[in-house]
Amino acid sequence: MTPLLSARSLTKQYGGRNGCRNVSFDLYPGEVLCIVGESGSGKTTLLNTLALKTAADSGSLHYTATHGDQLDLLALSEPRRRLLMRTEWGFVQQNPRDGLRSGVSAGANIGEPLMAVGARHYGDIRYAATQWMERVELDSSRIDEFPAAFSGGMQQRLQIARNLVTSPRLVFMDEPTAGLDVSVQARLLDLLRTLTSTLHLSVLIVTHDIGVARLLAHRLMVMQGGEVVEAGLTDQVLDDPQHPYTQTLVSSVLPV
Amino acid sequence: MRSIGTSSEARAGERAFTDNPALMLRAVGIGKTFTLHGQGGVQIEALAGVSLEVERGECVVLVGPSGAGKSTLLRCLYGNYLASRGSIAIRDAANDGQPVSITGAEPHDVLRLRRGVVGYVSQFLRVIPRVPTLTLVAEPLLSRGVPEGEARSRAAALLARLNVPERLWSLAPATFSGGEQQRVNIARGLIAEHPLLLLDEPTASLDAENRDVVADLIVEARERGAAIVGIFHDEDTRGKVATRRLELQPPLRH
Repeated sequence: MTPLLSARSLTKQYGGRNGCRNVSFDLYPGEVLCIVGESGSGKTTLLNTLALKTAADSGSLHYTATHGDQLDLLALSEPRRRLLMRTEWGFVQQNPRDGLRSGVSAGANIGEPLMAVGARHYGDIRYAATQWMERVELDSSRIDEFPAAFSGGMQQRLQIARNLVTSPRLVFMDEPTAGLDVSVQARLLDLLRTLTSTLHLSVLIVTHDIGVARLLAHRLMVMQGGEVVEAGLTDQVLDDPQHPYTQTLVSSVLPV
Repeated sequence: MRSIGTSSEARAGERAFTDNPALMLRAVGIGKTFTLHGQGGVQIEALAGVSLEVERGECVVLVGPSGAGKSTLLRCLYGNYLASRGSIAIRDAANDGQPVSITGAEPHDVLRLRRGVVGYVSQFLRVIPRVPTLTLVAEPLLSRGVPEGEARSRAAALLARLNVPERLWSLAPATFSGGEQQRVNIARGLIAEHPLLLLDEPTASLDAENRDVVADLIVEARERGAAIVGIFHDEDTRGKVATRRLELQPPLRH
């Protein structure tokens, strides 16, 4: 099996500090990979670098496109990059307001990405938006309301619908459940778990929540000080952590 | 995929699998030492020098005092713990029966093995919020591409056999009793009929009647040709399911 995304010695520094250093991994189709670590460990920098939101300083990054073409992502032209983001990728922000457009309705937020990839039939777009609202357990009769009329957890689900409506192959998520109360979190996690397995998505999730990682991820990368200190199968890393930092991280989880 | 230990060991391993078509699992010289960095780097030796070969239709029961490393060995075989020493190879049914080394495999190879070859039943059910019992049990079949209707009816049949009341099937098992959760866990572990089963006290919190049902299911799996390694706390179940016993002793503490 060829990896979908393949990073080698990827480095991004901010004036020689912070950022991420020397990150290498392969992500296979259908795999959910969690990046865990404390705040300031470089998780989000790594995610943004992988999603081409910030430019890498050095290293290489390759992606296998739908038709099997190998793309060198760090040398991709701007139009190709934008096409890729529109057609094959999704990016779920930590704060739903960063990932939604506040000036248009919930339905339009879901329909826009479809229009960006060529959908023109208004009825079809509205139908798809209704379907997706139901799929993420939102009341589809509220399709014409603005995002601000929804609660935080609902906005997050709306953002997920907006990102998945174009059937992407690779989705980046930055702390998708942070800042939500636990009951909403459980609902969102269950939704993400079902969607990733039924849509056969490959997902890169940044989180600081070990529980989220255990529930969703096939694999984990543990970051500390900008470097990946441990990587492996989720249950193996959490049940038999090798690195001192991972041991601290796992033993710091409060038992319920 | 990395080779099995040293190259001569790797060749011996591959030969063992070609010479004996019934061989499912081969573990050589397994040792496990935990290093607790947070507590001054204390080293705890949990397991030392265990070797084990299991063929189809065999049920090896691990016996030994508490602390002998029985569960640790099972977890190493499943790839849940990283073995510190030794090599573990498992026959990969999907890949022409070529052995895969768990000790050096990439995560996605281990995941593939767990989907198709190795099943693990622990003492505890890991509850997933909001997922109903029937879906939870059918999941291993669905992940292999079995049609939903068939997967659900097989799950229902197994739950009924394990005496899980039908009114509970549509509920998430978080609120079930310990014994009910364990039976759901067993159903989930046994439904996919993995050719290699690792069982860590699956009967621990069950009453005698349900223990017999579980023992029957394990015997059926064995007769179907599954290779089984298990830990059972009661002599009764051991006597029913075991074809062979492996005695483990706690490693000598220095």
